Amino acid sequence: MSIISVTFVQKDGSERLLAGIPATGTLMEAGRSVGVDGILADCGGACDCGTCHVYVPPEWTKRVGPPNDIETDTLDLMVQNFEPGRSRLSCQIRLSSELDGLRVTVATT
Amino acid sequence: MIQNNSTEASADGIDLSTASLADPEILAHPNAFYAAMRKDDAVHYDKNLDMYLISRYEDLQTVLRDPITFSVKKGFAEQYAKGFLKEYKEILERDGGGFFVNAIMTDPPEHTRVRRLLDSAFTAHRVKTLQPEITNIAVDLVEKLLAKGEGEVFSEFAMPMTSRIICKQLGVDLPSATVQRWALALTQQISRMQSREDMLRAAKDVCDLQNFLLAEIKDRQNSPPREDMISDLVHARLDDADQPTLGLDELVTLGVALLVAGNETTATALTTMFYIFATRPDIAATLRASLDDDRVVTRFVEELLRFDPPVRGITRMTTKDVEVGGVALPKGAHLLLLYASANDDDSEFDSPREFDMNRPNIGRHVSFGAGIHRCVGAALARMELKVAVREVLSRMDNIQLAIPNDEITYLPTVATHTIARLPLTFTRRG
Ligand code: HEM
Ligand code: FES
Repeated sequence: MSIISVTFVQKDGSERLLAGIPATGTLMEAGRSVGVDGILADCGGACDCGTCHVYVPPEWTKRVGPPNDIETDTLDLMVQNFEPGRSRLSCQIRLSSELDGLRVTVATT
Repeated sequence: MIQNNSTEASADGIDLSTASLADPEILAHPNAFYAAMRKDDAVHYDKNLDMYLISRYEDLQTVLRDPITFSVKKGFAEQYAKGFLKEYKEILERDGGGFFVNAIMTDPPEHTRVRRLLDSAFTAHRVKTLQPEITNIAVDLVEKLLAKGEGEVFSEFAMPMTSRIICKQLGVDLPSATVQRWALALTQQISRMQSREDMLRAAKDVCDLQNFLLAEIKDRQNSPPREDMISDLVHARLDDADQPTLGLDELVTLGVALLVAGNETTATALTTMFYIFATRPDIAATLRASLDDDRVVTRFVEELLRFDPPVRGITRMTTKDVEVGGVALPKGAHLLLLYASANDDDSEFDSPREFDMNRPNIGRHVSFGAGIHRCVGAALARMELKVAVREVLSRMDNIQLAIPNDEITYLPTVATHTIARLPLTFTRRG
């Protein structure tokens, strides 16, 4: 299993670098496990609550990919400031070696 | 008319020094009482209930987001078989296979251990795969009603629909009337029991329920994994080296939680849905014109849940001295979180008594709670409601109350806000 690093930019602008983490599970799980501010994940990754909302910067959107249909519905219904093209639910982003160096901004809930 | 439930923002006429949520009149139509609290005494001590009622959106969020200061476990224990606990416990130990410690009405880290297991059970993606099955059940029940042209929709539609779905998921076979009886007993167990007779009746039902589940669990312990949730729980491996499998307390109480938590709640919402169709033909017409538009149906369901939340309140207990909404609460204070009041707070929702499917913040209601105890079955409940909206409105026309609006009564419980009986008439849509 490969080892990667990801960064969350929190609401107050501060950054949380998760360096040297295994590329398994989801981005939400990685953020939740170290208590990233704003990754509340109320539904535990069921794609239902919208409290793991992040923005993906343009240079990463291709590698991260677009939300699936169900995720788009949840974004539309549940989150403040849904921005099509940038918004993703971090519980629906599977970590992989492809995502080494990923940097996302946590949305306000 | 739906306005029957509304406050029209009039908090007048409510004297908070004497009014109580224990009053059946207020329980049935609580919105004016809630509005008076939000205005004058947002963290109101209800003498009759011996509880602090939390009424503002912001204060509910504060409590829901801090599960250590505001304990579910202690709040639940305080509420449990109140006044009769000792005898109730003895009956369960003697006739019901044991007095099991609840595994979900707990605090972290205990709660986290089992909650992670449940999180994967009803994900939005998994629920989507259940849609055809849920649709078949809804169609069958709507057609049965249509064949008669009239019916009482709580017992003839809502309860059978929710109980068939959850029984199928759990892999058990039970008549909906039995599930309904058990659910009622369970609700009573966490409500204030009125008398010893009530307690005895509830205890008997809970014993039956536990014995039933114990047999189902045993059956699966002795056989290879099957495709159902009880089997999943029995064979689950947890991320916990000390206790890698669920214990009997956990298996029984999770089984109970799944069987009943999702039943009366979802059935209540389905009944309220029918009430809205019968009393707001304008809303029904808007929906009928857009049944193929998933976004419209989704938003109707969400506004329905905000407008009249099925769960009235869940309790918490403070584990230290703490201030909520400017009020100093002592350690050990028993709180009731009033979801309906938070959903009605105009500092969060504009014109909250308007049924508005186009609210920009429609998903921010707290009808499923929030934080680590947020409803596990939210995606399933929403799917059931969406399917019901489509099947009912595409097949039925002229949905009307068969009794005068002011004769509609609500179950006398602080746990849910449930129409007790909703007789309707309707015709087949041509
Ligand atoms: C419209 C229908 C429903 C409503 C309004 C509802 C509402 C709620 C609420 C308010 C809570 C408590 C949140 C808190 O303590 O803050 C809750 C918890 C829970 N619900 Fe639901 N519920 C519904 C349907 C369901 C269904 C269908 C299931 C099961 C399949 C379910 C299973 C549960 C469980 C197991 C919990 C406990 C979660 C925990 O404490 O971690 N509910 N629900
Ligand atoms: S954790 Fe709830 S939607 Fe991602």
